[in-house]
Amino acid sequence: MIPDIDAYWLWFWTAMIFASIAWYAILLVWVGWRGGRDVVEMTRALLKNRPDDET
Amino acid sequence: MMLHPIDWTIIAVYLVGCVAAGVWMKRYVRGVEDFAVAGRAMNTNLGVASLAATELGIVTVMYTAQFGFQNGFVGAMPGVLTAAAMLLVGMTGFVITPLRDASVITIPELFEKRFGKLVRWLAGLVVVLGGVLNMGVFLRLGGEFLTHVTGLGNTEGIHIALPWGDGSATLDAGYLELTMTALLAIVLVYTVLGGMLSVLVTDYLQFLVMGLGIVVTSILVVTNTGWTELVDRLWEAFRATAGAAQGERNLVMTNPFNPFGEGGIGVGWVVWQAIHALAVVTTWQTTISRVLAAKNAATARSMYRRAAFYWVGRWGLPGLWGAAAFVYFWTRPDAAGLLPMGLDSQTAMPAFLNAILPVGVLGLLIAAMLAAEMSTDSGYLLTWATVIYNDLIMPCLGRHQPSARARLLIVRSMVVLIGLFLVFYGLWYKLGKTAVWDYLALTGDIYLASIFALLVGALYWRGANAVGAVAAIVLGAAGPILFVVVNHLLQEKRVPVSLVAAMEPIMNAKKGVILPEVIGLAAFILAFAGMFLGSWAWRVLLERFAPASEEEKR
Repeated sequence: MIPDIDAYWLWFWTAMIFASIAWYAILLVWVGWRGGRDVVEMTRALLKNRPDDET
Repeated sequence: MMLHPIDWTIIAVYLVGCVAAGVWMKRYVRGVEDFAVAGRAMNTNLGVASLAATELGIVTVMYTAQFGFQNGFVGAMPGVLTAAAMLLVGMTGFVITPLRDASVITIPELFEKRFGKLVRWLAGLVVVLGGVLNMGVFLRLGGEFLTHVTGLGNTEGIHIALPWGDGSATLDAGYLELTMTALLAIVLVYTVLGGMLSVLVTDYLQFLVMGLGIVVTSILVVTNTGWTELVDRLWEAFRATAGAAQGERNLVMTNPFNPFGEGGIGVGWVVWQAIHALAVVTTWQTTISRVLAAKNAATARSMYRRAAFYWVGRWGLPGLWGAAAFVYFWTRPDAAGLLPMGLDSQTAMPAFLNAILPVGVLGLLIAAMLAAEMSTDSGYLLTWATVIYNDLIMPCLGRHQPSARARLLIVRSMVVLIGLFLVFYGLWYKLGKTAVWDYLALTGDIYLASIFALLVGALYWRGANAVGAVAAIVLGAAGPILFVVVNHLLQEKRVPVSLVAAMEPIMNAKKGVILPEVIGLAAFILAFAGMFLGSWAWRVLLERFAPASEEEKR
């Protein structure tokens, strides 16, 4: 039998672990979509701002 | 279980796609600013993906799983504390706002503005030493995960006769060394060519693969073990083994739920981890390089707020795999409180995943872990190379500044040199298993304590001066080293009995060494004491022996 105080902590960790799985899944879709757009924007900005080629 | 052709196909597709994207970005690099901080053109979501990918490598999965294996769900505590620290910093802008507004490339560059060139150079040295030596164990631990999760041993490989000595000397390399050397070579190709731009784009792809692998694996671990079974068995193991010492093979669990309760990890340890977490999110150069690459301070703060909860999962999900691995081996009929031969608390988790994951998912997990390793290696290689270039080499050149092309060549050469160092020092040269963890903690503490005290002093205390900064660097580094020496002497039984008795309150009675939280907290206290006392003493000396004239005061 788990004592009360330890049981409260167990509820806390249960919430954290399942929320983490859900958060990772949401982040994967959200950042996956928006981050892809950021990559395109970044490359366009770099081409626009630096016409000279130093490399 | 050995890998199926489907698993190998998933891994091959990922590797080819990642390298192609990394090499493609070379076309956008036109100077050191593009190479080191992506032309400061990064947006929030790309920043979140890059930060998340860089700060989760196989080495992270290995030690967080080991925490879960030994401490149950409490193993996720550092993740909760890091998330809280990140949210706090994201909401207040503590350290990161003035740092981004300073438009520097590295943290030591900021120190020159406040404390002069010597402090910049010394801080650069501490950052590089702490960072590169810390990274030294990444490849070996990553390789251990891969060889256990794929079911490959480390016995086969190549044997090359060396041309010196009596002819009997050979260089022996197993799968682990060959695999990780090849992996590092791939990372070096795209990091050297595209710098931060390649790192950001490959980090983005790696974030997608890694995130998918972690989510799918975590769901399968929970469904395979059963949540109630997991909880009940962890508690049962804690009650059965409470008070026993943890070793490499024995199955011993601390209080798996309550860090402050009976048999828990303790208040001192949690306080140390809280300070450590705040120092990591404000000073660890690989994290800060994303702040410096952000468009502005508001973007950096937004990135921190959005990425905060990610840290709970970074510790909690591999910790869950570790806790489930503990239950898997604890409930085996032939366990008798011990892991099978050839496994220890680090390698139990990959062996457990190899046993439970189906074909396809195993390939996805390996691709995810390769992604994690590659994003971490590329981010770290670039970061430390940039610090060497910016804070150790450039200040020494004075007025003889090289051309833009030469500067780029210097940074790229540094990336290659660090890569070579890692292969020969961190992979082919074998550190003992216990030494690896002492070493990781030591190098981390040297860096964090010194640089955190310096940053807080530089940004928020007008009374801070160069003498205090040097004292903070020296004391912050000396503290952890001193404790490691004392711990070594304690283990060798070369400390007088009376002194050991006096140190009893700060010692782990079962292991006979000083508690890690005492070492960690002492490093921070010493660094801040150095900053405060050094600055104060220098000001007092100046006022006494070289008082400012009335004109200077005005």
